[in-house]
Parts: sequence; C-alpha cells; structure tokens
Amino acid sequence: MSDLLEKYVRPEKNPGTACKGCGLRLAHRKVLEAIDELGLAQGDVVWGTGIGCSGRQTFVTWKGDTFAGTHGRVYAMATGLRLALPPEKRLILTVGDGDAFTIGFLHLLNAARRNVDMTVVVFDNLGYQSTGGQYGVTTPLGSKTDSSPYGAWEPNWTQGGFDVLRILKESGATFLARHTVLQGHEPVESLKKAIQNRGFSVVQLIYPCVTHYGVQALGTRDLAKIYDWFRERTADDLSADANTHFTTGITHDASGSRVEFAAGLRQFVASVQKGVGNGETD
Amino acid sequence: MKRTFDTGNAAITEAAIRAGCNLFAGYPITPATEIAENMSRRLPQVGGYYLQAEDENAALHICNGGSIGGLKAMTATSGPGFILFADAFGWAVSSEVPVVIVNSQRVGPVSGITGAPGQGEFYLSRYLTHGGNFETIVLAPSSVQEAYRLTVRAFYLAERFRTPVIVLADQMVTDGWETLELPETDAEFLAMGLEVVPRRIHPGPEFYPATDDIDVPPVVLGHNTGAACSDWTPTDRGHDTEDITWQHKHAWRLIHKILNHRDLIDEADQWYLDDDPEVILVAYGTPSRVVQNAVNAARRDGLSVGGIRPISLWPFQDHLFKRRAIYLVVELNWDGQLVREVQRAAADGSQVHFWGRCGELPTSAELLEDITTLLKHEPLARDGWRTEKW
Ligand SMILES: Cc1ncc(C[n+]2csc(CCOP(=O)(O)OP(=O)(O)O)c2C)c(N)n1
Ligand code: SF4
Ligand SMILES: [Mg+2]
Repeated sequence: MSDLLEKYVRPEKNPGTACKGCGLRLAHRKVLEAIDELGLAQGDVVWGTGIGCSGRQTFVTWKGDTFAGTHGRVYAMATGLRLALPPEKRLILTVGDGDAFTIGFLHLLNAARRNVDMTVVVFDNLGYQSTGGQYGVTTPLGSKTDSSPYGAWEPNWTQGGFDVLRILKESGATFLARHTVLQGHEPVESLKKAIQNRGFSVVQLIYPCVTHYGVQALGTRDLAKIYDWFRERTADDLSADANTHFTTGITHDASGSRVEFAAGLRQFVASVQKGVGNGETD
Repeated sequence: MKRTFDTGNAAITEAAIRAGCNLFAGYPITPATEIAENMSRRLPQVGGYYLQAEDENAALHICNGGSIGGLKAMTATSGPGFILFADAFGWAVSSEVPVVIVNSQRVGPVSGITGAPGQGEFYLSRYLTHGGNFETIVLAPSSVQEAYRLTVRAFYLAERFRTPVIVLADQMVTDGWETLELPETDAEFLAMGLEVVPRRIHPGPEFYPATDDIDVPPVVLGHNTGAACSDWTPTDRGHDTEDITWQHKHAWRLIHKILNHRDLIDEADQWYLDDDPEVILVAYGTPSRVVQNAVNAARRDGLSVGGIRPISLWPFQDHLFKRRAIYLVVELNWDGQLVREVQRAAADGSQVHFWGRCGELPTSAELLEDITTLLKHEPLARDGWRTEKW
C-alpha cells in the first residue's frame, strides 16, 4: 500500500493530517486503488477537492494537477474546467457530505442535469466534522452531535424513505453508488466504474469520524468499538432497511447512456459553426 | 474601421470576442441580460462556449474553472447578481486566476429599480469578497465606445496580473445606443491602443514567486505540470498552509503586484485643470458625460471650473486630487460613495461636496447652479433628503 502512496501522493502530504484512526485514510486509499487498478498515471487525472476534513486532507495530495474550491462550489468549477480539459482526462473530486449534499447541492444537481464528466467521491463522515461535529443531511436520526445534544431531529436524506442518490438519479446522474470503507474491495470496483463513466458519477463513501461522531454519537473513543458499529450498520446490498443500515451497492448505472456535457457542447458549437444553425445533438 | 450604431452590451460582447474570450457563463438579469444573449449568439460562431448557470455564484465559479483550464472567461450581471459573486471572486483573487466581470449598475439596494442607472457598487467592486489582503482592478466606461475599449483592456490586465478585473458600467452605458467603431484589422486594433495577451501556461509545480512580478503565466491544469491551485494560503509549492509567514507573502503578492504596476492601470480624464480652477467636478461613468458638458458650459461663461473623470476606479487614484480646490462629486446614488474617497484623498484645505441622485442623470443646468453657488462660497441648497453628511 505504501507503494500506492509513493506512486501517487506528494511526499510533503504523506501522511496526511487526519486524526489518528480516522477512516478518511482508508477512503482516500480506495480512490487511489481504483486509479491504480485502472492503470491511470499521474497525468491522466486532475484532482479537485472541497472544504472540510475530506477536502483539506486530500488537497494537493495528488502528484498531478490539483485544485481546491470554496465550500460547495467545486462542482461548478469542475463544470467550467471540464470544457477546457481533453475528454480523456479523468476529473475526480473528493469532497465532504456537507460540501456535496447541502451547501453545494444546487451545483451538484446541475452538474448531474448536464451530465458533466466528473467523478464526485463523497467522503461521508455523517455530518460536519471539521467544524467540530454538527449534524448534516446524512447524519442518522437520533445521533447526538454538538448541535443536536438531544439527538438529530431534522429529516435527513438517507432515512425515512429518502435517498440522496435517488434525487441525483432523477437529476440525470449516470453512475451512482454507495459504500462504506469497511467493505474491502467492493467500493474500489464501484469507484472504477464511476471513473470510467464518461459522464457524471457520484460515489458516496461512508467512513468513521472517530474524533467527533465516535465520541459524540457513539459515546466512545475506542476505535474497535467505533469500527464495529460501522461494520454492523453496513449492509452488503441495497435491500436492507435504510433506517437502520447503510445500504450499499451501485444504485444506478446508466454509464454512456446520455450525451456528456462537454462533448455535447463541442458538437453543438461545431454544428453552429458549420452553419447548421439549430445545433441539435443526437 | 466598421462604423456601427449599437449598444454598450453589443460593444462589450464584441470586445470580449476580440480579446479571445471563449467561455461565458451567466444568469439573466436586467440590464445585463443582453450581454449574455449576445454572447450566446457570438461565442459558438467563434468556437467558444456559452453556459447558463444555475445562479451567479455558479456562473463565476464556472468561469474560474474554465480559466484554470486555460479558457478566457467572462460573466456579466447587475447588483443582485454581483453580490453573489463574492465567493467566486475571492477564489479568483486568492488563486490568482484571470477572469473578467461586467457589472451594469442599476438602482439599489437589492432589487431596487431594474431598468435605470445607479452607482451603488463603487465600494462593493473594491471589496467584492471577504478577508481583505488584496487589491482590485476596476475600470469604468462612460460610453459605448469606451465599453469596447475597457472590456478589451480588462482581458489584457486580467492576463498580465493574474486576477479578476471588473468593468463597472451602468445601465445607460450598457443599454444606451451610440456610434461604435469596431476595428477590422490588427493595425486598427493596435491603433486604438489595444492589445491581447494570449493565455500562457505556468510551468508548475512551483507556485508564483513571493514578489510583485506580473506577467508570470497563470496556473493552467491539465498539462501535468503538477500545478496546484486553491484559495488556501499557498506555500511556494502551492500547498495549503496555516503558517502566517506564507500568508504574509501571499497577501504581499496580491497587493503589490497591483500597487507596484499602477502605470498599467491608472487612467483618467482631466478637464481644464492647468490654471488651477477653484471648483472641480468629479464623476465616473455616465454622469461624467453631463459633468463634462456642465464644465464646458461654465468655462464658456468664464468660470473657474475644471473636471476629473477617473476611468480606472480601483486602485483609487489619490494623485488626481492633490490640488487644493472645492470639489463637487456627482454620483448616481443618494448615499455618496466616490465622494468619500475624494474626501480622503483631497489636498488639505479643500472642500468636498456631494451631488447625488439615482435612476436619472443630473442636468447640466442643475450642476451649473451648484457651481455658481460654490464659486460664491455660499452653502449649497439641498432638499431635506439629499444629504451632504456621509
Ligand atoms: C461558506 C462556508 N461556510 C462554512 C464553512 C465552515 N466549514 C468548514 S469545513 C465545514 C464542514 C463541512 O462538512 P463536510 O463537507 O461534511 O466535510 P467534513 O469536514 O465533515 O469532512 C464547514 C461548515 C466554510 N468553510 N465556508
Ligand atoms: S475530525 Fe473526524 S473526520 Fe475529521 S480527520 Fe478527525 S476523525 Fe477524521
Ligand atoms: Mg462531513
């Protein structure tokens, strides 16, 4: 595994600054594994990050070209960047659940609508963790956090019949999957499919925040207990009860079924230039 | 030279195309919508991309993303959209990314009056983001022809300084119809004093030097240079750091790359200042057209009057106000914005007065009345709500 880090991660950033025992390193590693197994080199990927533990810990780790956006806006930036990049470059964004599903959700939905070729890996630590542990839209109901001392009460987008990935599906995303970092190689397989999709992909990758979620919601600093809780809550398929489990798997695979945005726009522009005028893409 | 009769919106569009703009992302808003519409027609013709963003915050972020990919990007808006740029503008300033922003000012605050000119974003254009530690380049056209020139200039400065440049227009400049001369050849373009700087590519992975150097190529991703680009405080490798020493170097670069090259930015018209007139009128944008008329008329009457029109608004040109005089600052707002800077910059012993209104221009006669009063050293007549206190 250290080979992987040596191959892809800047030495200044290895090891990262995530808390001891944090699942973020595992999550980060899954993405590198997927890149490696796809045989991609440093120059094949442009890596972007958002704000939060996920963003900060992965920013400028990638040896190749890399950028970071403000909180929630990296999807809009990536939309502009995609127009400039050669189509074969893979554009991977590692972001937080808050970054993607709350503050940046409008941009995420619109990137899905346009089917912009990018892979958004949502490192989901069940809330806003780098600000000290507040509940978000993936925090299980009832969780005690620093802003839900009586238990998280607001409806979220993972329980009660809601699934944030379903909203993204309806919005036009062409590849969607959810996993936890405790699932060994399965998340890597999904990440590979996501990265290969020439369109808009989101992989929600749930991982344990030991410092805040562990202590506040699970009431323990014991890494083994925290990881056990996540392991027990991880269901290996999508049919389990989402109110009590992290249901996992590929929730939607329509890879290649829609025109990719940048490709479509290029074709449209070419048709206008040819004087076709109506610029219809097929 | 192609002589046409057209709007400021058209002038800005043609200028952007001529400057090599190949990405426009915007969101419709009066009175800047026609810029977006014109770009949607013109960009595909020249192989460029037009996008309608989900909001202005996204619009400028899309432009920023395109710019770090090597595209030349522009967006255009008015007050309610301009305020939504705060986040993306800060990102572009701190990440040192060239991008051009047009604001056609209307009457505020907030939704205000959509189809009438205002000048409420003089200060907002200087501080369009939070956090301080930066300088901003803002250019203010007062005619259709000048909207063309300053838009080309904005692209030029954005590339050389690696920073967003704002064209601060008003509704009359962008909606107004005037004669517009468009250069048809490179020679004509050059003869207008205009130049285009193509996008160059930073070699990476080293970040920008901690100096005031301009003309350092901006970071462009996708060339596997190991380029890093972010709004975090960068080290010399572009890595994020919490170290105050690096922050200091970064801020110093953001401030001094602009302040130490003001010869490339500073621009103003100055009318009849050679004989040290007693009264000097000051205005930018469309009101400066009336001011110029009033000053000319006053001169014909033998009055000791001059005028100053800052063309570049920020960095503020303090040096223009080193004459001891009675200044009358004319603005399209009721609260007085430019006047505060003039008051700060004016030579000791000067008086600084304010003539404000918005939605419509002052008349030459109204200004002449004030000029006459000031020359008599009498207090200006003011209706109760046109305050001189700011
Ligand atoms: C516009 C804005 N609002 C708030 C913040 C403060 N902030 C920094 S990190 C963070 C938490 C983000 O949560 P998430 O995206 O889930 O990332 P995590 O830290 O949990 O990995 C917040 C709210 C910010 N940086 N910018
Ligand atoms: S706060 Fe939580 S998510 Fe962030 S690095 Fe520490 S353990 Fe990981
Ligand atoms: Mg989070």
